[in-house]
Amino acid sequence: MSAVATPPATGKKNYVTAIKEALFEEMERNPDMICQGEDIGILGGAFGATEGLLAKYGSSRVIDMPISEACIVGSATGLALGGKTVMAEMQFIDFISCGFDQIVNMLATYHYRTAGEVNMPVVIRGPAGAYGGGALYHSQMNEAWFCNSPGLKVICPSTPYDAKGLLKGALRDGNPCIFFEIKELYRKREVEELLPEEDYVIPFGKAAVRREGNHITLVSYGQNVYHCLQAASELEKLGVNAEVIDIRTLVPLDEDTIFASIAKTSHLIVVNEAPMTCGFAGEIIARVAEKAFEYLDAAPMRITRLDTPVPWVKPLELFVLPSIEKIVQAALKSIKY
Amino acid sequence: MFKQVYLARYFDVRLIKEKRRGRLKGTLYSSHNQEAILVGALFGLQSNDWISPIHRDMPAFFLKDLRKGWQREDRIGMSIEEVCAQVWGKVDSPGRARDNWSHIGSRSKHIIHSTSMLAGTIPVAAGLMYADRLNGGDAVCLTFNGEGSTAQGIFHEAINFAAVHRLPVVTIIENNQWAYGTPVDLGCPTPDVADRAKGYGIPGFIADGQDVFDVYDKVTAAVEHARSGKGPSIVECKTFRAYGHGDHDDDRANKYRPQEEIEAGRARDPIGVCRQTLLSLGYLTSADAETYHAEGKNATEATNEDFPPEVVEYLNAGIEFALQSPLPNAEEGAMWVFKEKN
Repeated sequence: MSAVATPPATGKKNYVTAIKEALFEEMERNPDMICQGEDIGILGGAFGATEGLLAKYGSSRVIDMPISEACIVGSATGLALGGKTVMAEMQFIDFISCGFDQIVNMLATYHYRTAGEVNMPVVIRGPAGAYGGGALYHSQMNEAWFCNSPGLKVICPSTPYDAKGLLKGALRDGNPCIFFEIKELYRKREVEELLPEEDYVIPFGKAAVRREGNHITLVSYGQNVYHCLQAASELEKLGVNAEVIDIRTLVPLDEDTIFASIAKTSHLIVVNEAPMTCGFAGEIIARVAEKAFEYLDAAPMRITRLDTPVPWVKPLELFVLPSIEKIVQAALKSIKY
Repeated sequence: MFKQVYLARYFDVRLIKEKRRGRLKGTLYSSHNQEAILVGALFGLQSNDWISPIHRDMPAFFLKDLRKGWQREDRIGMSIEEVCAQVWGKVDSPGRARDNWSHIGSRSKHIIHSTSMLAGTIPVAAGLMYADRLNGGDAVCLTFNGEGSTAQGIFHEAINFAAVHRLPVVTIIENNQWAYGTPVDLGCPTPDVADRAKGYGIPGFIADGQDVFDVYDKVTAAVEHARSGKGPSIVECKTFRAYGHGDHDDDRANKYRPQEEIEAGRARDPIGVCRQTLLSLGYLTSADAETYHAEGKNATEATNEDFPPEVVEYLNAGIEFALQSPLPNAEEGAMWVFKEKN
């Protein structure tokens, strides 16, 4: 994957360019904002998301950090205590585990512990997700760890428009946010889109209905949204009309859009590429079971990664991950329930 | 300074008594025999400096900026009332009793809020001082740690980062020889914990943790080093933990630690060491020196008469306040998970 972000000639922009624009615009807008992470300055980031930031804003606001994820998070907490807004990059979201204690015990609880005296405007963002042959430690989606840690907002955009608007929103939110970027989408031509010239922010807790349908609801986020959309196209050929919902933010979760959809379709499949046990798909289904059970005509289903790590070579990787075929088969089963 | 040592000791003695009287619940982490470190380290700070105390440093919250005057409203340190409200778990605690014991802090009082994950505030101190320098400030941050926490990865990560950027973070190591039930030689491979400084190219000072003046001198040197832009340092204060890790551990700590080690470690009481220095320098007349004698006495043996009356009165006011302060409303348990709208 190239580290250089080449803007396409169409005027459309790719996902990583959207991230980059959000960072530049927020750095410009907020003189108290700091960016820090491994290789984000001189190199411009492993994926080029911070390219040019150092030249424009200088080394005091764009900090090349040692390979110390725990210190990246801990010092971000300190910067926030000192009145700064911080973007902390994890080079791969897999590496966030090295900073886990500082995230869940120090950063996430700070506002709570101080009874609101101290806010923590810290956004930890990084490339996430499988399907690229990244193997065990460059493929993870570990969002569930953070959804299970009160005090964190958890975001996962699937389009350039959302990536920019949600990242800008996160940097203005005032709460710690864990921002999952889908690296397989960073430079994917098919998802490029025109971005508004003017400033915009996407509010948290508002799902997007990516495709309307009335037979079954497919709920997802990140790159699995595209698997759902392609599965919906397949299903259409078989006479099944699927609705596809992209939740966009996990915490907070837009339950209403999901409930409204299953009120119409009475069938639900949730798709995510994280492992099944205690994953976020299970959380969505639990909430539906508690609050919208009577809408359902069939048992809700999860299509997730198997409860395995993400293996390296293609056949192994694809075997354990959600696929269009798995979604189609599950949908047909649900309809026939 | 002498009076502050007495105050720190009295706080410890009195809380143990209060708990035995049944007026106080929760675990106490005694700072007995380590008071010279707290007083000596804090005495020379500027008002705007920051501190990051841990569980054994409860007196640090009210000792901070106390030099300015015990009743001064403009002190940048906690009042004894706030600290006692926290100890008693009352709503007037700076943290509204949301986390226990020393897990409080205050941005306005320049005290970092700790967690139970030791050494975990050092990176916070580093980031905070980075921000302070960007904002044009001249503050220094003292973080307090036990020798045990120097084995944590975050200890290394944070000091490494602070050293790279020459951040004004002074890491105090209260080497009291025992990390809960583990002796220092099972946690640190070098005779002096301060040796860890060498790997970062920063000074590693060693102070006699029983001697408030030696601690003051070494910490003052470290603070000047930091404030002048030369960067972080480590100050190891050698001392000995008088009781157990917490009071739940007092009985076992008398068994897993050899009796002769306990006696040797407690032989040089910081109150007595301070008195001797003041006498020898002529700052204290022998008549004055004979008035109060808390040294060498544990919480059962010491009485109010062993302490200067103003020390007793100061803490009395804090305890009275805490006893009358209400508990927080139960609903607060679910509040402040997130910051609400901007």
